[in-house]
Amino acid sequence: MHIVGILGRRLLQIAATVLVVAVLVFGLMRLLPGDAALVLLGERASDEAIARMRDQLGVNQPILAQFWDFLLRMVTLRFGDSVTLRVPVSSLIAERLPVTLLLTGMAAVLALLIAVPLAFWSAVRRGSWVDAAIRVFAQVSVSMPVFYIGLVLLITLAAGLRWFPVGGIGTGFLEDLYYLFLPALTLALSLSAILLRNLRESLIEVLDAEYVGFATAKGLPRGLVLRRHVLRNAWVSTVTLLGLHIGSLVGGAVITETVFAIPGIGRLMIDSIFSRDYAVVQGLTVVLAVLVSVVFLALDAVQAALDPRVGT
Amino acid sequence: MKRRDLLLASLLPTMAAFAAPARAAPHRGGTLIFARAMDSLFLDPVHTAQNADIWISLNLYDTLLQPSADGKGLQPGLAAEHSVSEDGKILTFRLRPDLKFADGSPITVRDVKWSLDRARSKEEGGEFAFLLSAIGSIETQGEDTVIINMAQSDPAILQALATFNAGVVPEKLLMAAAGDTLLEKSKSFAEKPVGSGPFVVESWRRNSEMVLKRNPYYWKEADDGQKLPYLDAIRFVIIPDDATRILKLKAGEVDVTEFVPYARVAELRNTPGITMTLFPAAQVHYFTMNNRPTLKDGTKNPLADQRVRQALNYATNKEALIQVVTHGVAKPARSYMPIATPMAYDGGPLYPYDLAKAKALLAEAGYPNGGFEVTCMALAGNADDAAKLQTLQQMWSQVGVKLKIEQLESATRLARFNATDFQMRTSLWTNDLNDPKQITSIFAYYPARQSNRTGWNDPRVNELFEQSEHEMDSEKRTAMYKEIQQRYYEAAPIIFGMDVPYPIAMSSKVHDFVQIPLGNNIFINAYKDA
Repeated sequence: MHIVGILGRRLLQIAATVLVVAVLVFGLMRLLPGDAALVLLGERASDEAIARMRDQLGVNQPILAQFWDFLLRMVTLRFGDSVTLRVPVSSLIAERLPVTLLLTGMAAVLALLIAVPLAFWSAVRRGSWVDAAIRVFAQVSVSMPVFYIGLVLLITLAAGLRWFPVGGIGTGFLEDLYYLFLPALTLALSLSAILLRNLRESLIEVLDAEYVGFATAKGLPRGLVLRRHVLRNAWVSTVTLLGLHIGSLVGGAVITETVFAIPGIGRLMIDSIFSRDYAVVQGLTVVLAVLVSVVFLALDAVQAALDPRVGT
Repeated sequence: MKRRDLLLASLLPTMAAFAAPARAAPHRGGTLIFARAMDSLFLDPVHTAQNADIWISLNLYDTLLQPSADGKGLQPGLAAEHSVSEDGKILTFRLRPDLKFADGSPITVRDVKWSLDRARSKEEGGEFAFLLSAIGSIETQGEDTVIINMAQSDPAILQALATFNAGVVPEKLLMAAAGDTLLEKSKSFAEKPVGSGPFVVESWRRNSEMVLKRNPYYWKEADDGQKLPYLDAIRFVIIPDDATRILKLKAGEVDVTEFVPYARVAELRNTPGITMTLFPAAQVHYFTMNNRPTLKDGTKNPLADQRVRQALNYATNKEALIQVVTHGVAKPARSYMPIATPMAYDGGPLYPYDLAKAKALLAEAGYPNGGFEVTCMALAGNADDAAKLQTLQQMWSQVGVKLKIEQLESATRLARFNATDFQMRTSLWTNDLNDPKQITSIFAYYPARQSNRTGWNDPRVNELFEQSEHEMDSEKRTAMYKEIQQRYYEAAPIIFGMDVPYPIAMSSKVHDFVQIPLGNNIFINAYKDA
């Protein structure tokens, strides 16, 4: 199929996905009891003040009118103002998104940096004590809750040894990298365990395959065999798995950002859901849906490059 | 340091707030880093409704009168002098000379009049306009005199003029801000406001960090004749997680941490280099009950019977609650008002634990062995709520009452509460005004909010409250409030709980930071050793 056609089809898929997500979020938010007027004014507000605020916020309008308004905003990318923070949603997202992207990006890279060498080591030395130790590490990492790993790292490496700051972010890119290292590691650990286990299985499978035995028998150097035949074939499923977990990485960022006091979109999302700040939740969800779809698209491309058998 | 010395050291800053400290001269300059659990939402004093906004507002906007450091009395603010006519109908304020806003422009009597007129207006005045509603008109005289004519006398008016929403705002700057309506202008102004207080906003990244720098034009001077405040800047960092805030303090990355969980108070008291302070607070924890005969879903409500409510109060061991929830730092309630409220009537702890009385009252009400169920709404994920209700569950099982806990998140709980669709809930109240009128209008005066949604309605209390609103004789007003509090106690529309302090942990380098009982964080005298 022609490349433009493929791309066009994929973009349409993304648009449809985003629309479905947007409608779902609109509906779910309206199903939640409570509204922003109550949250904003608190328990002491009089009934008439609440009614006045509901008018101001437009939550008194019929649901269809609200939905139409919402659709118009989505199409024109005007997300409106946050009712609690009283600033445009777009500027909030623009301020927060880079931090979260950096955090999840670092986490993905760290996860690969941990998982790939360990998986190799463990697959090549299958059955040895090294293999056993690595598998225990994976088991522990995957079963510990993110907030717990975060607190343990904070207490030991930051508050205890003072190697890292206790949360927050820096004032520049390099400092950000330093501040975000622990939270990224927190996020990376459980993902790395998942990747590790999967990659180890694939590696073992490939190592046992006849063509690898054949390549070795041909007298190819071990390193070349591992790189060209084993890794290349085992890689495909790991990249797929990484892609599938991008979503959960963003989910994990919500918790990590709270524990490490990072002003990213994860924390913004949680705060906005609790304060029924519809505009922010909707805007964020749409942006995240677009982002995740784009990541999937990019991963498909990477996969196709890695393995010509993967069709588009 | 010995343990006793540490305890003493932790009390010092509080005491210093009341007496002039005989210490080395405070260090000038430096930035105080303050870890907050929650960020402010909006910095226009008139549209301020949340504690996170209220508690820092007085640092940005000065008032004619200020709360004193112990929070009980008043001290002069922008007005050097004031007088009240004998009938309480005319209040005259004389401003200090050469007052300036943080941008260096003069604070005029016109700004004062405009700010107060906006704050008391029903349309533009926001949630707290009612505090100033007894004002009839405001006029200015010459360069320095503001005259407030009261439409009705109001015994709480001076306290109201020391409250955040009466903060003085620069009329010209606010009116010059972008927007068509006053509300829109207020919104643009509040992005980076300029006020009359000792500090001014330098930068603000929402939910992340807010930097206040000292206002070089602020009028107040220290004992040595130099200008206050001592600090060059305050940096608020927002850290929602309790454990992380404390770790930051321990690592020396922040100087002050608010909302220390009670469970950590003892530990921090014994941490070298950290001063753990419990500031007295006008704050109560209690349980709200629905007093209506039937609940929203149509079922019969045993809590409608006064004897049942009294019985449950007797069956509640406050001392045990205080131990479990606050590790002993709170005090059993003596009124529905925080005991720090003026005119709070202290007749000893209410409903001391007495199982025999509880059982007798239940039997009298037709529930000899309890045998009914009460459902209480709790804030999901809140450790305090969980501890309170699990303790209550055990205590009430002794009289055969089964307590069911319903976990809800905040917005849902609030919606159910406002719709009176509840039987019982955990509650917390902090005074915003240093007077009994605010809490009483909400808790006990039915016409305002059905006595805080309980549905309890005592015509005599309503009448007394209405009278007290215009009673200028302090003794008579105190007597009225005593009767209101006694009737409230007798009827027990709530489960009385405890008076709880504000736990603040600070680096030992920080001195003279004060949180007054109303919760306001006062930084004017705060300083940090070099």
